[in-house]
Amino acid sequence: MSASKPSQSEYVTLVSGDGFEFVIPRSTACVSGTIRRMLEPSSRFSEAVTGRCVLENISGIVLEKVCEYFCYNEKNKNQTYVPDMDIPPELCLELLMAADYLDT
Amino acid sequence: MYQQFRAERRQTRNQIRGPHSALTDFLASNNISAAQIHQNHQRRLRDFERQSAAERQGSSPDDSDDDEFQHVGESAEDRKKRKRKEAVALAKIKQSKEFARHKARRTGGPDDADDEIAREMMHQRSQPLPGQLENCEICGKRFTVTPYSKAGPQGGLLCSKCSKALADDEKKPKANRRGARSGRRQNQSNLLDGLAHQGALSLAEMCTKKVADNINDIEEFGDLPSQLLHRLSQILCKRRVLTPRTLNLFLRPDLDSIDIYDAARLETHDFEKIFALMPNLSHVNIRFAGQLKDKVIEYMLDRNLQVKRLQLDAANLVSDAYWQQLFQKLGPQLETLKLSNLDFSLDDETIEVMCLYCTPLRRLKLKQCWKAGNRSLQAISGLTSLEHLSLDYVQEIEIEILLSTISKISPRLQTLSLEGFSNADDRLLGIIHDNCRALTKLRFSDNAVCTDRGFVNLFTGWANPPLENVDLSSTRDVDNTNPDGPKDATGLASRGLVALMNHSGSKLQKLNIASCRHVSHSAFEEIFSAGTTYPNLKELDVSFHTVVDDYVVGRIFQCCPKLQKLVAFACFNLRDAQVPAGVALIGGLKAQDSIVLQGNY
Repeated sequence: MSASKPSQSEYVTLVSGDGFEFVIPRSTACVSGTIRRMLEPSSRFSEAVTGRCVLENISGIVLEKVCEYFCYNEKNKNQTYVPDMDIPPELCLELLMAADYLDT
Repeated sequence: MYQQFRAERRQTRNQIRGPHSALTDFLASNNISAAQIHQNHQRRLRDFERQSAAERQGSSPDDSDDDEFQHVGESAEDRKKRKRKEAVALAKIKQSKEFARHKARRTGGPDDADDEIAREMMHQRSQPLPGQLENCEICGKRFTVTPYSKAGPQGGLLCSKCSKALADDEKKPKANRRGARSGRRQNQSNLLDGLAHQGALSLAEMCTKKVADNINDIEEFGDLPSQLLHRLSQILCKRRVLTPRTLNLFLRPDLDSIDIYDAARLETHDFEKIFALMPNLSHVNIRFAGQLKDKVIEYMLDRNLQVKRLQLDAANLVSDAYWQQLFQKLGPQLETLKLSNLDFSLDDETIEVMCLYCTPLRRLKLKQCWKAGNRSLQAISGLTSLEHLSLDYVQEIEIEILLSTISKISPRLQTLSLEGFSNADDRLLGIIHDNCRALTKLRFSDNAVCTDRGFVNLFTGWANPPLENVDLSSTRDVDNTNPDGPKDATGLASRGLVALMNHSGSKLQKLNIASCRHVSHSAFEEIFSAGTTYPNLKELDVSFHTVVDDYVVGRIFQCCPKLQKLVAFACFNLRDAQVPAGVALIGGLKAQDSIVLQGNY
């Protein structure tokens, strides 16, 4: 049933290249244009059918930070003067590449 | 004191004694006895031990013991008594000077923290005095209490080692507090830049900033896409940290564009390196290029680069001969040429050479080129492919030449920007009205000759589709003896503005009418009347319109649903405007107060 109506599942699973899985609310993940298009029900992509996105080129550490951003973004929706999220300097280039890929 | 000490030493010299330290001698001379101190100390220790032994036996529940966890067995009456005593003690402490000092030291806490502070102080008072021995709360070691001993997490005292560790930990949160303060300043700074958007920044933008923060630790960017490099360059240039070292990060042979907004720190060979390492360059944008010399131009031309879009700013060490070589060589391929802030070269003759060779040019911008005059303007009329033209001349221009040039090239123009042609009259507006059919952006600023009637004629019955970007700032009469201006208004005034909004309101995205002083309050009311909407207007500048008041600004917010930025410097009637969320109001009288956010607009 969930395969025929994937939009019903409230949570989606993001899988990093090294196999870490992150289960987060669908609405927060759809901040990313790439993930939104993957999960678009009309696309009939396997991601849309299963609610599971495998992001081969993103490592677990980076994807964890990306998920943290998704929640941070959701939390600060419609607020002004949002403080910047804490990003460790050694991660920022990789995270920037991931952000570009994810269209976030 | 020292002399007295020496004298006493002399007196005792003849006595025969056992070993005696200099300190004991000194203390004795000042009537201080080491043995007495030792005895006092021992007595204090004994007292303390006797007292603590008595406490341990729990002799009486209502003595001054205030640890709440030790009162499990006491009767209700005793508890009441103790509470009353405690309350009296607390009240006393609250009135003391020391309490006020403590409170002042931690501003920012909620008001009900008073009790907490007083209670803390009460605990502190019952703690051992300096000079006594105590067991460290953390490590359990026995140590001598000093005035510098810190209180531990449970209120007990700490040995010097643990005190130090605690002090080190406390330093960190202080740094954070400073960060929060500068954040508020940053918010104000962003607001002045017109950034008032809601919600979090995009992750990419946040990471780009972070990368820029740590630019000195970065070895290379890897295969970062070109648009992110562009953004990084913007941030680094704004902070003025684009140095020869950071430039290297941007030089990648696979890319075809380079944008450096501040090249002031680069040397001649750095410019050569750009052209040496990036053979595929087609888009070159280098500003503040002070050290870009003849030999760099020569080197660039030798490399046979396929440059199509060239923008150079302040390249004042390039001579006319090399500008001419550049135009001859690159002319057939150049599509865009933007030159600005040149006061040493680029004279009329060079611009004539440019117009001869750069015939495919579609976009031309000449700003603040001091040596360019009438002849150069005449030559520009030969550029028949031009679609975008921006001119800002320093020299006085003959109006006839301007009119003939504009009338020749205007039919294809999408952008026309004329700044500082102070003697242009209504005939220019007439030519724009008659010839332009494809304009989307029109700038005509700093003029005191064109009349309101001229602007009305321009925007009435104009076959050009609605404009998207209009800047008619500083078109006004500047006669100090007649501040209200002549009867037939000079510059864009009430009727001209109404005609403009009727023509272009539906598509307008940016409008700048700063300093157009003769627009009346009723004209603003008419333009922004109820039921009118300007669906695309994002930026509006009404600076120096003293008639603009809270009512007009409120109307503006209602009529422009997409508005992001309203610039209102010197609008003295603007007092308590209610600014919708997501809109940056810049330049209000009271910058702090206008940040109140109101939804539902």
